[in-house]
Amino acid sequence: MLLDVQSITKVYAGKAKSKITANDNLTFSMKEGEIFGLLGHNGAGKTTLVNQILGLIKPTSGKITLLGKSILDSPEYARQICSVQPQSQLPLGHLTPAQAVSIMGKMRSGNKHEVKKRMNMLFESLDMGEWANTEGIKLSGGIRRLTAFCMAVISPGRLVILDEPTNDVDPIRRRYLWDMIRKLTDDGTSVILVTHNVIEAEKAVDRVAILNKGKFIAQGTPSEVKSSVNNQIRVEINLATDSKDITIPGWSISSHHQGARTIFSVNPDFVPATIEWARAKIQEGKIMDYSLSPTTLEDVYVELTKGKEATAV
Amino acid sequence: MMKVVHDFKYVFQMQLFRGSGHLLFFAIIQVFMSLGIVIGFTYLFDQPDTQSILYLATGAPTFILIITGLVILPQQIGNAKTEGYVDFTRTWPVNRSVILGADSVIWLLITIPGLAIASLFAHLLFQPGYDISWTVIPALLLIALTSIGVGYGFSYLLPSDLSLALSQVIAFGALMFSPLNFPMERLPEWLQAIHTVLPLYSMAEVMRASMAASTFTATTGNYITLIVWCILGYGGAMYLLSKK
Repeated sequence: MLLDVQSITKVYAGKAKSKITANDNLTFSMKEGEIFGLLGHNGAGKTTLVNQILGLIKPTSGKITLLGKSILDSPEYARQICSVQPQSQLPLGHLTPAQAVSIMGKMRSGNKHEVKKRMNMLFESLDMGEWANTEGIKLSGGIRRLTAFCMAVISPGRLVILDEPTNDVDPIRRRYLWDMIRKLTDDGTSVILVTHNVIEAEKAVDRVAILNKGKFIAQGTPSEVKSSVNNQIRVEINLATDSKDITIPGWSISSHHQGARTIFSVNPDFVPATIEWARAKIQEGKIMDYSLSPTTLEDVYVELTKGKEATAV
Repeated sequence: MMKVVHDFKYVFQMQLFRGSGHLLFFAIIQVFMSLGIVIGFTYLFDQPDTQSILYLATGAPTFILIITGLVILPQQIGNAKTEGYVDFTRTWPVNRSVILGADSVIWLLITIPGLAIASLFAHLLFQPGYDISWTVIPALLLIALTSIGVGYGFSYLLPSDLSLALSQVIAFGALMFSPLNFPMERLPEWLQAIHTVLPLYSMAEVMRASMAASTFTATTGNYITLIVWCILGYGGAMYLLSKK
């Protein structure tokens, strides 16, 4: 067991003696080489949880152990084991990516020669060699974000925490980045991926937890989390311009419109009927095209958090 | 011990390279500022006597150290806090005192050109009667570290905008209302009383006693005042940095 978080609660003092419970009795654990996705809205308590794992803030109650050792007793130990890519853009100042990454690698007790080799490999894999010697203040947001990523993984320790690593990064380098994250786990390094980009996370993570208002509302592999909610099929149709008045089939479970798009879900049993219905509508000229797909993690996320928002108010 | 040396080396490199452009700029600004005091302030007098010039020539180095630790440094920390950089440094696998130590050395280094050039020019232009004692190195270090330590203390204690405001008050107060460049007796009594507690006057006294040892002396009280402020500043900064 790499990381074991037991019943962590963090309460902050809010305005006028009110109390804010940022984390409410959270329990989870991680194995070596695992990618754990931590999903949640802004303010759901993700960063608070991460900061407690790093020993930067102290839980109000609960226990966190890293490789069997309590981090409450030795917070510096946590910082040796874990490296972090922070969510905010890292102000590199006049540091070039090559300086920032190699100094961080050596600070994290990497062997000089190894650090250099690994840095070149990282820059090449992420296709950012062109900017290796450009000062931070002259770099684009995406390259600065990738530099922060490289700083976190140059001598990665046992656990790497990536907080929104793909923000500002272009689609092509995003793919390289996901490859690199996957590669990290080959050597047994574990990754906590903090994000609200659920679509990307679904493909990358081994297990996932959805955090809402300080509580875990779902936890498991992406397919477990999805099947805990439903196993419906999502149908998306694009309406023809002059057919606003389309009636969706009676067997659909829920539906909503987004401009010319209509999305509804059906039970798997109704897939043949739905396809027949959609083809007929195309022939009538009412819809342009249609697609069917299994429920995504994002659908589940929206449904779960929507319900909680409503009950919480 | 080996780990501290190792950590210090790389923290120092990171901080130095990150700030390289600014730091060079600050060093140059300080050369001009100190020359401004040594040369520019003599224009305030019709016929400045040696005593007045000696006050300026020994006040300028103190002023540089105050501006560095209590004005420029808090502004930089304020920015670093706002940008999230301070939080990032807290995730490094090193003791926080190493970061504080490495930063202090960098701030010390950038004062050197200003200190050296101002003193050299003062000597060549006016021969104000420098009489440099062996205590000058420990005195400079004590003054600089007190200034830097107190600067760290209040910039970690206060919210960024408040510490920026305070640094402006100090810049103005140190130049106009502190006995750095003139004798304490010229100030109203209530301000004298304040200055016996604040570190600025003691900094000036200790500096003068080291740079013009035959003309000025500093009391043990001056040294104690500085040591107390230095410990308060660094201690407070360490406490705030390690707080969870």
